[in-house]
Amino acid sequence: MSEMKDMILNVVERMLKEKVDKELVDTVEQGHWAPELWDLFKENGMTAVAITEENGGAGGDIEDLLNIVRLTGKYAAPIPFAETTFANYLLEFTSLQVIEDLATYMLYPNQAFTLENGKLTGEAIQIPWARHTKRLVTLAYSTEGTHLVEIDLSQAEIKLGSNLAGEPRDTVKFHHAKVSQVSAVLSPDKIHAITTLNTAFQLALMTGAVDKINDLTVQYTKEREQFGRPIHRFQLVQQHIVHLAGETAIALAAFNNVTEALLKNNQNSEVAYACIRFEEIIQAVTTIAHQVHAAIGTTHEHSLHQFTRRLWSWRDEGASTSYWTNLVATQLLNSGDSLWGYLTSSSASSPLLKVEG
Amino acid sequence: MFHVPTVQFTQEQEQFRLDVRTFLQDELAKGTFTPKCDSWLSGDDPEFSKLIGQKGWIGLTWPKKYGGQERSTIDRYILTEEFLAVGAPVAAHWFADRQTGPLLLRYGTEEQREYFLPKIVKGECYFGIGLSEPNSGSDLASVSTRAEKVEGGWIVNGQKIWTSNAHLCHYMVTLVRTSPFDGKSKHAGLSQLIVDLHAEGVTVVPIKFLTGEHHYNEVFFDNVFVPDNMVVGEIGNGWAQGLAELAFERSGPERILSTFPLIDELIQELKRQKNLEGLQQASKIIARLWGLRNLSIGVAQLLESGNGEDVSIPAALVKALGTKFEQSIPEITRLIVQTYPTLNAHRKIDRFMAESILHAPGFTIRGGTSEVLYGVVAKGVVAQ
Repeated sequence: MSEMKDMILNVVERMLKEKVDKELVDTVEQGHWAPELWDLFKENGMTAVAITEENGGAGGDIEDLLNIVRLTGKYAAPIPFAETTFANYLLEFTSLQVIEDLATYMLYPNQAFTLENGKLTGEAIQIPWARHTKRLVTLAYSTEGTHLVEIDLSQAEIKLGSNLAGEPRDTVKFHHAKVSQVSAVLSPDKIHAITTLNTAFQLALMTGAVDKINDLTVQYTKEREQFGRPIHRFQLVQQHIVHLAGETAIALAAFNNVTEALLKNNQNSEVAYACIRFEEIIQAVTTIAHQVHAAIGTTHEHSLHQFTRRLWSWRDEGASTSYWTNLVATQLLNSGDSLWGYLTSSSASSPLLKVEG
Repeated sequence: MFHVPTVQFTQEQEQFRLDVRTFLQDELAKGTFTPKCDSWLSGDDPEFSKLIGQKGWIGLTWPKKYGGQERSTIDRYILTEEFLAVGAPVAAHWFADRQTGPLLLRYGTEEQREYFLPKIVKGECYFGIGLSEPNSGSDLASVSTRAEKVEGGWIVNGQKIWTSNAHLCHYMVTLVRTSPFDGKSKHAGLSQLIVDLHAEGVTVVPIKFLTGEHHYNEVFFDNVFVPDNMVVGEIGNGWAQGLAELAFERSGPERILSTFPLIDELIQELKRQKNLEGLQQASKIIARLWGLRNLSIGVAQLLESGNGEDVSIPAALVKALGTKFEQSIPEITRLIVQTYPTLNAHRKIDRFMAESILHAPGFTIRGGTSEVLYGVVAKGVVAQ
């Protein structure tokens, strides 16, 4: 990553460190909204990163954006930053107009809305932040096929819900509501590309949370004393520390390889591998962190749960891991190459980020 | 958390990978070698070493004036991966290429470099690494093999153990005590000597591996004379010099790929069976391998940029994690496909299974036990 990028990320991290604390995350979990934090991100141009300049974007690329998303995950920033930026990224990806408002998205193929004469009908659950956002970018089925549409959420009936971490996950119902924009029919490849990008955003958030949990846990082993010494001095605790460090290092390297592949537009199966590997990472990291923190880590008072509960939620949001294991298995079955050839293949099977003209 | 860079291979590097692969496939077709799991320890074949020496593939990163190619650490990484992925017999020259060369380039005298490196590069001169002793395993600093100063050199007495392929090697870089053990600074007073394994007073005795095969040895020194010009670096600096080698030793693809031929054969078998469910299970192995490989290549890139101190913790971590992965492969494989492991089996997967099961216990022991590595990593992480 360039020095410029490092600088931007340092600024974002400082911003998050200053503005996001446990109380703010708690407040939003109780149903409030964090306007100051959102405005700060917006004023600093963060919501326009990775949008092309001709569409009013702030420049920057997908790697920058995903790294900012990673940092919002690292601080459990209680704003729909990933949702709004990804919604816009999708709009540009499908040659639609980007939007200024707070936005969210819905990509579960099994609950897509139906689209008829420019009107949207149907109900979908677990839409992130719907109550606080103005626009929804969603898959919709017409008689012609699957589209991406953008629609004003003021026309929706919204029922409140939340995930394990208390983040807003609402039910949204439309009845013949007018859509603002409709994409051309999406090819299966295009839908797969959208799923891939969606998973990359999820991975970014999860990487941030894993990184934070590692920091919290290592710090705790230095502060907590038992039997007259800090607990990191005990070999059994050291074993936990190493296991945690290993999973964290693998998560960070996996995420960096995913963003690099997306940036160079030679993504093969990196997202699939990362998603499959993150299953084990999350299981290990959450278990170890709670074990090391012991009783105090299970209290609401402590901040650990703000990250472990997010991981337990985020891993089930977006495409399921079985989608990716099935993809890898099918690719292997159809590959004429040896496994080693398949793993080290230098050319992308299908460049992902080509914007349809 | 420490930062490990990502590496995108250049087009030249991709081409180099394919060139190596084509060469190995051709040799395989000619019957030059039989693929093996753990071939960097058990696949010793001096003829093969000479063959790849002719290709310029030993000492790839070394200066041209010593016969090297001045290629990058990443190029060497690619080369090593290709050897291991196909299970090629690279054991004979392995330690000379991986450790002795870099050691001499960093600490050796010009005379030593000019004498040894061109021979190593040709695949004709092999080195063992003499570290462990019967009473000094993980507690390496307690070694008691001693060297006493005499006119023109040193007299060595003592014993090394677990020395891989010492029976094939010409020399051994030997860690010896050149001043008496001092409990207060136990890392002081150690030195590295190049011992000619054919010198008078050296006895190499095989220790049979649990399969009955001969890989490692005991090496006894009975008043062995080592001339002054075979001292590596400074007398008394052996511990620090040895540590510098460790990052190279710990983070390479051989800590991930020792059982790769088995994974490859598992996938082949599942493809033959058109077993989608089996392939779905196997995708977990591939994801793990990918995750480790990212880390290991990142450490290679750090080694390239030459800051050894930042590398030691992630390198130890790669070995601890990678060897655990290698070790798990036969156990996972046997639950996905039916195998009948035997060393001389006709079916490749049965043979690779046998080699993997039987060699697996050594993966997490050799080159620093996992327990020692865990200690290194934990202390490093806490100190950050």
